[in-house]
Amino acid sequence: MAELAADTRVWTGKVTGKPACGPDTFVLELRLPEAIEPIAAGRFAMLSPAHGEGPVIPRPFSIYEQPDASTVTFLVQVIGPGTQALETVEMGEGVDCTLPLGRGFQDPDPSRELVMIAGGVGSAPFLGYGRQRVAEGAASNTTYFFGARTGDRLYDRSKFENQSFRTVLATDDGSLGFSGSVLDSLVEELDGGRVSREALFCACGPEGLLHAFAALCRERDLEGQISLETYMGCGYGVCNACPVPTRPDGALGHWPWAKSCLEGPVFPLEAVAF
Amino acid sequence: MLSTRVGGLELESPLMTGSGTFGHDPLALSFLKEGDLGALVLKTVTPEPRTGNSPARMAEFPGGLLNSIGLENRGLEYWKESVAPLLEEVAVPVVGNAGGHTVEDFVAVSEAFSGMEGIAAVELNLSCPNVDGGLHFSTRADSAAEVVSACRRVLDKPLWVKLSPNVTDTVPLARACEESGADALTVCNTLLGLLVDWKSRKPLLGRGYGGVSGPAVLPIAMRLVHQVSSSVSIPVIASGGASRPEDVLAFLVAGASAVQIGTASFRRPDAISTIAAGMRSLLQKNGLVASDLVGSLKWDGGGEKPREN
Repeated sequence: MAELAADTRVWTGKVTGKPACGPDTFVLELRLPEAIEPIAAGRFAMLSPAHGEGPVIPRPFSIYEQPDASTVTFLVQVIGPGTQALETVEMGEGVDCTLPLGRGFQDPDPSRELVMIAGGVGSAPFLGYGRQRVAEGAASNTTYFFGARTGDRLYDRSKFENQSFRTVLATDDGSLGFSGSVLDSLVEELDGGRVSREALFCACGPEGLLHAFAALCRERDLEGQISLETYMGCGYGVCNACPVPTRPDGALGHWPWAKSCLEGPVFPLEAVAF
Repeated sequence: MLSTRVGGLELESPLMTGSGTFGHDPLALSFLKEGDLGALVLKTVTPEPRTGNSPARMAEFPGGLLNSIGLENRGLEYWKESVAPLLEEVAVPVVGNAGGHTVEDFVAVSEAFSGMEGIAAVELNLSCPNVDGGLHFSTRADSAAEVVSACRRVLDKPLWVKLSPNVTDTVPLARACEESGADALTVCNTLLGLLVDWKSRKPLLGRGYGGVSGPAVLPIAMRLVHQVSSSVSIPVIASGGASRPEDVLAFLVAGASAVQIGTASFRRPDAISTIAAGMRSLLQKNGLVASDLVGSLKWDGGGEKPREN
């Protein structure tokens, strides 16, 4: 039985910043009423405007940054009614947030190489993950592949480039970095021996990217983890609306579905039928 | 101020979780403050494990949700072993919810609940719109009577029945349940609905049809609570779209003795506590206790103009 994490709380955070970040995205900064512990990379929050407008159910977002003990930020791409409603919340107004939720990325030994692969706003969990590696002294064997359709959608790229791990950029239109998909840039690095097949590979981004990533991991026998953007009703395990099919021979194979909100959103590829 | 009596139980608050909206187990109770929740109604248990329906299982529209989970649960044996022991520690009465396709299924789950110390009452889910088979229990009074009588015989606890809104007239069903030994009626389950993506020309849910819940169904549930509570003498538990303290108080006025909160808990897991606090404040301002309101609807031909615009 998957259990709700013991540290999950529900708060009303106050909007202390909402700077634009790329053409369709902003960084939502929330001040919580109390200090919280650092949240492991890949865990998430459910957000909805406290004024009650917008969809009936909240939306899941990876934790982006924790600038101080009582502040959390989220990378919000405005694509539908949930994110549009969040965009309307003004500075000083409230956002209901339940956090931290779910399970994040595995924390490999600093001696093991880590490869992070993001498409667009799929970058959100990797700023924290990368910083965690830096803090562990593992920057030199950590690589971040950051891809997007266009250069201006490599959100906050300087924040990543300023870190001591290596960042490889890729754009579909060739306007910045490698010209092509982020996976093509990864394949090139794998083939060139600049990235080891023994690394732990972690991906977050659009479903198409994750499917291609899963196929690449299978084809080359890489150990992969994916952060799934499953549609969720509640985020805390009660509604059963975010089932992810499990592999019968995997770690979650005792039941045909895993709850993305409790057992994910990060899953080892061997555990899920993806 | 909030205490109420429902179908054989004394409750600290008229607020309950709606079955299927607060989990299979009591783990999410940590979000709620003591004294706010009257009873924990758990997700439906069926005799055999059910893997549930194919995704997508939920979709939304302005004002509500459409869901088709399909009673996913790991079956009675698992539940007895893994969930039942957790219930004895729960501070509020726990209501087990029984589901199935046949009379025997409902009886098997009721019998198991009957012997469990952690279960204070049983709610029969005669009305899930998202599974095949067993539809006659929610649409035919004779079938409903048969299953309720059979469960009544094996149960030593209060028996509640959750009714369907997907019938022309709920009253004959409600009366049949009362006559067969039900101690309370939950009114109502979700309304059968469909959402369609016009571009792909496909339903939004994997199973197509689903159950509509959320604020959009409130007036329908309100009407049914009024109709049913006017026609039976056992208590009615409202379920359908309540998300604000005012909604709960209105359900009490319309004839409910208690109110289940479902979809509202998805937006905030502590919604029940927020609603309870709002109710206390409204009741206090008006010098009332919750039980003063039950069934107090003044239907004298005049309507109430909206006070705020």
